[in-house]
Amino acid sequence: MVKIVTDSLSDISPEWARELGVTVVPLNVHFGNDVYRDAVELPPEEFYKKLVSGGVHPTTSAPAPGVFAELFTNLAKETKEILAIMASDKISAVHESAVQGKALVTADCRIEVINTRWLIGAEAILVLMAVEAAKAGANLDQITDMVKKAMPRLRALMIFDTLEYLKKGGRIGKAQAFLGSLLKIHPILTLKDGEVHPYERARNRAQAKNVLMNFVKSAAKVERVIVEHATTPDEMEELIGNLSAMVPKERIHRSRVGSVIGTHAGPHVLAVSFLEGE
Amino acid sequence: MNQISSCSGQEMKKMFVAGSSWLEKSVADVNAINVFPVPDGDTGTNMHLTMRSTLEEVDRSANLSVSDVAKAMAQGALMGARGNSGVILSQFFRGLAKGLDGKEFIGAREWAAALVEASHTAYKGLSQPTEGTILTVIKDAANAAQATAQTKSDDLIAVMEATVNEARESVARTPLLLSVLREAGVVDAGGQGWYILMEGALRYLKGEVGEMEYSKPRMVTANIPMVANLPQMSTEKEEPYGYCTNFLLVGQKLNPDKIKTKLEGKGQSLVVVGDSNTVRVHIHSYDPGAILRYATSLGTLHHIQIQNMDDQHEGFVEMQKERLPAMDMAVVVVASGEGMKEVFKSLGAAAIVSGGQTMNPSVREILQIVDSVPSDNVIILPNNKNIVLTASQVQELTSKKIAVVPTKTLPQGIAALLAFNYEGTLEENAKSMESAVAAVKTVEITRAVRSTKINNLAIKEGQAIGIVDDKDIMAAGDVVPEVLLEALNKVGIGSTEVITIYRGADADEAETDKIVKELQSKYPGKQIETVNGGQSHYNYIVSLE
Repeated sequence: MVKIVTDSLSDISPEWARELGVTVVPLNVHFGNDVYRDAVELPPEEFYKKLVSGGVHPTTSAPAPGVFAELFTNLAKETKEILAIMASDKISAVHESAVQGKALVTADCRIEVINTRWLIGAEAILVLMAVEAAKAGANLDQITDMVKKAMPRLRALMIFDTLEYLKKGGRIGKAQAFLGSLLKIHPILTLKDGEVHPYERARNRAQAKNVLMNFVKSAAKVERVIVEHATTPDEMEELIGNLSAMVPKERIHRSRVGSVIGTHAGPHVLAVSFLEGE
Repeated sequence: MNQISSCSGQEMKKMFVAGSSWLEKSVADVNAINVFPVPDGDTGTNMHLTMRSTLEEVDRSANLSVSDVAKAMAQGALMGARGNSGVILSQFFRGLAKGLDGKEFIGAREWAAALVEASHTAYKGLSQPTEGTILTVIKDAANAAQATAQTKSDDLIAVMEATVNEARESVARTPLLLSVLREAGVVDAGGQGWYILMEGALRYLKGEVGEMEYSKPRMVTANIPMVANLPQMSTEKEEPYGYCTNFLLVGQKLNPDKIKTKLEGKGQSLVVVGDSNTVRVHIHSYDPGAILRYATSLGTLHHIQIQNMDDQHEGFVEMQKERLPAMDMAVVVVASGEGMKEVFKSLGAAAIVSGGQTMNPSVREILQIVDSVPSDNVIILPNNKNIVLTASQVQELTSKKIAVVPTKTLPQGIAALLAFNYEGTLEENAKSMESAVAAVKTVEITRAVRSTKINNLAIKEGQAIGIVDDKDIMAAGDVVPEVLLEALNKVGIGSTEVITIYRGADADEAETDKIVKELQSKYPGKQIETVNGGQSHYNYIVSLE
């Protein structure tokens, strides 16, 4: 069976990963000289406490190529085919690291590394699809092809209380158009071409959540949705409640923004990712 | 100067330890110039951490040959690489180890050959090698080392010196190769870090460890005038060529005519419009740097856009196929009051036409501003019912595509601007902005111009009146705060979540504070904001969202 590997920018938690049978390679979060592996060594609860505690602002880094080389070599003992579904190379070096790790593997095993140009739930949706296909017996080429074809059908939207974290982490890109507002605004950003882009602004959280809802509603057909929160599970449930009228329950998944995405998004982000039907 | 013909594995290790300590001293400086590929300001940190892991691995190995030390370093870098620069550095050490495989000592030739191997490995390993980065610096330095090794095959220091000197030159050239560096006015951070690492190594070889303790690496800066030489090279060229440069200059006592005269010789298609506080500049120039330098001497720059026009043309063809990108759309706003104008600007209005109640701008005034913004699609927010019609006449006079969202009050205009969707087309945006207008209520407090009886209110000339959505007079009286509160009361604040109070030029700050306190106790849990709108005619404009 094809083994599926992804990175922690997909926000797939360790428990979820075990359930799915995928390997999630954690990125690192640095608080000063302390380095933590995303989710594994720093669960979201602790991370968000640290983040808002007012101490040193964290930074993040991709794992070394050697981490991937080791992982691939170990997996090669169990399988002849590995698919690595990686986050956008415009946001992180993790894809590059996986590509280089792959080059070091000498074991007799085919490895495909995909730059999905996505993150968070959108990346996770690709992982879910790949896992299902692998379980159904699809081979590496078939799954790779399926994932690549699904990539352009993904959509993602995130609401923020502030863009300060994104700005600090250098990932604000074109969303800087939303900086400097003299009124209190709730920025809403989308992912496009592997980067964050400005989408809309709301005056309050309720309005912003409406925009999230309408974003999914405006799609002709929704195949799969992932809703994720950072510190507001009730908001996630509220959104899922509203979505259940249009998307069957088994196609809606819950997730939580982990510490690496959280470093750049801040403690109140709420995100929706979905796969639009063909 | 002492001449060293070769060094052992232990010496090579010490050489890189010295280089790494030298790099550690400039971590913050290297972080500060990190703009590519992700401007997250951690290149120095990542390179230093990668080096630490690289050297820790050597400590663990007891072997002394150059080959073994290089292999241990490669392994350490591989497992400890952090970030993009760390990943490239790990490739560098991998190549170096390959080049030094089986060697007991490094001599001048071995070093040069290993550098060349390291450069090849670094390039090969990357899925998208980019010039103008650490890669280019390693390649240039390796070539210089190889050239020197041919004539000075027994002088390791001379070859290292050639490596470091060329690295320095190469770092200074990186902005020529990578436009994001040029725009940010920096050299490549990874290249800078690698140069410092090598410089530290060289200084160890030269026996300068003592001096290094009390000094700090000097950062390389771009010393080449970047695009300044282009005009001479391309005289008499017919095609427009160069950089389309656009920005908003904000300052005090600006003189648009003077700015225009000053910039006239510096490019083509010059447009300078604005007033003493805000000037929009558009110019096609070979040297946007010079334009920006001049402008920053006058004030602060906003909404800066610099585009290579050759790319723009190619991009244009692409764009036609897809739906209209939001980048090509501008919102022009009619507003009065400095504070109000600032709010609109801060929310991304491309340009502001001064005007409002009792000072309606002409079609010509709006047209001028519409033509000056660097977008072919323009949405106009008139923000006054008497200006809606004027604004809708602009379409006949311009080749640009215009949509007028009929906003009748300033809060309606702000609500519309906030609803601007960066992914939408002109039509989609006009539609969604119009529906956003319906979600906001406006209460305006002004003075009655004559005595009248309306809505069961007996109004005396000069009394304060509260108008809702520019139509209904809902309250009147002598005391402004009372009229305001009564008007809000009548509108019904129930489902409102955000109350924004724009204080007019004639209103008093203490009075506003009183109103806010009153509102807070009357409507707990509502988000209340006050903005110094500075508008004339209206003491207060209140938006309910």
